[in-house]
Amino acid sequence: MALLDVTDLRTHFFTREGTVRAVDGVSFSVEKGKTLGIVGESGCGKSVTALSIMGLIPKPPAKIVSGSVLYDGRDLTTLSERQLEDVRAREIAMIFQDPMTSLNPTLTIGTQITETIRRHYDVSQKQANKKAIELLEKVRIPRAPERLSDYPHRFSGGMRQRVMIAIALSCDPKLLIADEPTTALDVTVQASVLDLLDDLRHEYDMSMIIITHDMGVVAEAADDIVVMYAGQVVEHASTLELFDNPEHPYTEALLGALPQLEGANVRQGRLTAIPGRPPDLINPPEACRFGPRCRYAGSDDCTVNEPQLREIRRGHWVRSAHPASERSGSRVPEQVG
Amino acid sequence: MIIDPREAPTPTIAGDVVSPDGTGSAGAPLRQSNLWRDAWRRYIRNRAALAAGVVFILMLLFVIVWPIISPYDPNEIDFSARSQPPSLEHPFGTDTFGRDLMTRAAVGGRVSIGIGFAATIAILLIGVTYGSISGFVGGRLDNGMMRVLDALYGLPYLPFAIIVTQIFGNVTFWTMVVALSIVSWFTTARIVRGQVITLKENDYIRAARAVGARWHRVLGRHVLPNTLGVLIIAIFLELPGVILGEAILSFIGLGISPPDASWGQMANEGRAAYRTSPHIIAVPSIMIATLILSANFIADGLRDALDPRTRET
Amino acid sequence: MTKLIIRRLIWTIPVILLVIFMTFILMRQIAGNPFRTSERAIPVEIQRNLERKFGLDKPWYEQYWQYVQNVATFDLGPSLVLRNRDVNDIVKEHFKVSLELGALSFLFAFFFGVLIGALSGLRANSWVDYTAMFVSNVGYALPSFLVATLLIYFFALQWDVGLPTSGWDTWQSKILPVIALGLAPMAAFARLVRGTMLETLQQDYIRTARAKGLRWRRVVGLHVLRNSMIPVITAAGPTLGFLITGSFVIEQIFAIPGIGRYYVTAVTARDYSVVMGLTVLLAIIVILANMVVDILYGFLDPRTRDART
Repeated sequence: MALLDVTDLRTHFFTREGTVRAVDGVSFSVEKGKTLGIVGESGCGKSVTALSIMGLIPKPPAKIVSGSVLYDGRDLTTLSERQLEDVRAREIAMIFQDPMTSLNPTLTIGTQITETIRRHYDVSQKQANKKAIELLEKVRIPRAPERLSDYPHRFSGGMRQRVMIAIALSCDPKLLIADEPTTALDVTVQASVLDLLDDLRHEYDMSMIIITHDMGVVAEAADDIVVMYAGQVVEHASTLELFDNPEHPYTEALLGALPQLEGANVRQGRLTAIPGRPPDLINPPEACRFGPRCRYAGSDDCTVNEPQLREIRRGHWVRSAHPASERSGSRVPEQVG
Repeated sequence: MIIDPREAPTPTIAGDVVSPDGTGSAGAPLRQSNLWRDAWRRYIRNRAALAAGVVFILMLLFVIVWPIISPYDPNEIDFSARSQPPSLEHPFGTDTFGRDLMTRAAVGGRVSIGIGFAATIAILLIGVTYGSISGFVGGRLDNGMMRVLDALYGLPYLPFAIIVTQIFGNVTFWTMVVALSIVSWFTTARIVRGQVITLKENDYIRAARAVGARWHRVLGRHVLPNTLGVLIIAIFLELPGVILGEAILSFIGLGISPPDASWGQMANEGRAAYRTSPHIIAVPSIMIATLILSANFIADGLRDALDPRTRET
Repeated sequence: MTKLIIRRLIWTIPVILLVIFMTFILMRQIAGNPFRTSERAIPVEIQRNLERKFGLDKPWYEQYWQYVQNVATFDLGPSLVLRNRDVNDIVKEHFKVSLELGALSFLFAFFFGVLIGALSGLRANSWVDYTAMFVSNVGYALPSFLVATLLIYFFALQWDVGLPTSGWDTWQSKILPVIALGLAPMAAFARLVRGTMLETLQQDYIRTARAKGLRWRRVVGLHVLRNSMIPVITAAGPTLGFLITGSFVIEQIFAIPGIGRYYVTAVTARDYSVVMGLTVLLAIIVILANMVVDILYGFLDPRTRDART
């Protein structure tokens, strides 16, 4: 049984300009002990998906209009705010993109860690402090006991992100959602944070959802990958399978846009970009949303009807009328994994 | 005086991006955006600010035009018609001397609003000069100037305004302007200095200087146009304060000498008779309140319109 | 932390000196002295004697220095117009009243303003918000003398609820003046708090706090409030100063025996010592209020503690 089961999730934002259909029919599941990567460009709805799972979307303009998020047998979308407060951090924890603004500048990090612990466990301040020091050491912050009473502005970006991780782990959650955890950090710091996440995940036997636009990150960290575009899932496969046999034109383009150090395109000297822009989510097209930017879209069905997500191979799903293996002249790929 | 509330911004989802060839999302044509036109459009959408703007303009028209076309002389005393409540002949009624209040309100308005604008402009001039020099030059001069400003903040507003008005002997229109502007420019200076410093650190300013642009060009072409928005808002924030200040000074008897009217003066005159003829004090007070209210809403509207980050839900 | 406090205290001294200086210079600019403008014509020799007695014939810098020394020893000098009265007496009798009026108005404005503003901010765009903001906007725009007149008109004349409209003795007599003086600042606080709360609620760290599963009550009470109050405290200082020093109008309308009316008559009568004394005192109050605010700011925002002043 999967730990987390998201089925046909739709989150819409009701604004003066119209209804923005930010997440429009997203489904995936996360297995125990595994990491799911969600990739896509800015605005594709990946962060909103994560926030919807946690119930953290801004309630006045946004609303989960349909779909279910099953965690441990309960549908989180039906829970009250109070019930959700019990789930957050204790069962599902989340870390955010920008460590510089994600911590309260007027409280010590000690307070920010211990208040989480004391919220979910009935322990004394002293015991919570002790646990906090342990956590800081676990995330490799030197001189942890002294640092407990420091304020966030005394920490660098990378260290603040580690503090965030410490907070997230403080209540032994079963699932950690990491929303662009390394995007705001330098490349070298990125690597160490990713390593840390990996180690901790194994140590705590946690599942993880890692959200990013960086294919390199997800290749390293994820077991399975969901590719999102314009509020929908367009491809879903295991990491190896996705990188070896990408099916959706968008995925191919994403991979093609990666700088290569060796291989056929090295001498070209140019990065292939994807022309055009993502569609307006207030009035998304009825047809395939990637159509206007797709090399293979002709005057056929995908310009009229929206392709459905289908299992093209075992464990490999794609939403396209022109997946790679069905184009003329392509060989049937060997299943990986 | 104080920072004002903002509406909660909506999250922006991909959709209002302009691509290089001028077409917007999914190929739809996009209008060229002009900062001022966008701001104007945003301002008009705010109904309260729009209404306030209309009211403000109407008041200006009233005080400018009415004294010219009114059949009454504002200073003409007529004891037979004294303390009359509002009627068809005297829409605002008459005061204890029988003078038509509507005409007096318009004439008084000229004085009060005139003092208001004059003092506000003076405040801006002083404040902008002080603030931009301090912010732009920076370093120890900035430090020193800010210390002086801190000291000036320690001056109690009303007492000092009173003292300054007394220096000139008679209290006249310009005396008031000088007195009120002297005690009110500090906040503007601070705001301008803040703006200048922020802009100075801005990358495009640095770029301009790196290319060797002269400081006056940098100031004139880059810094000031961005400060313009802040200044316009500052006008509508300072105006009510000055008008209120003049009203208070007149009310306690230290205002412009009668028979010249200002709204504060009229309120002072109406004070004694408020039991029997409340309209005498009500008319100028409501004028003051209306002006201040509309100026506040205009300032709010301008602030929302000129700051692209804040949007209505 | 204590270093910060001491440094701020030390800085107030030159500020106070500067204020005394400026008041002094300004007063000297006002034409005439108390002995020449009084109604009863005083013979020239007696004028000169009086001037000598009060040291008015000495050069200004000597007078200034003398005055500073006096202030340091809490001697604000005798009144030049009201014979046999010292400024200190006047101050003792009447300043207390103005102080109390200002302080009560401030507490009223602060307490209710923050309350209304917080409610508005938490329930943004609801009818609670719209009503509260509408009332605040109107309240902010009404000149205090209008509010005072309206209050008197309704509460004392139309409906007899037993609230006195003059004097400052019973607690009932304090209600109307405090409301009249404190209404506009209350509205200002409400608008300000609403704004800062809205801004704070948008911040990432509030989202983090919610993601930690903290109860909403705590998120608001600790995280939101603490950060929202910082700009409010900054505005509170000058407001307190303004309320204590600018209550002249209210004092006149409600016949409150504060220093307000003394100030006005003293200025017109060119009673230097009273004016100087009161102004200096008022300035010290304002400076102290600002200083307290600065220190409080340091407590609330830890980032400023490390920054060099």
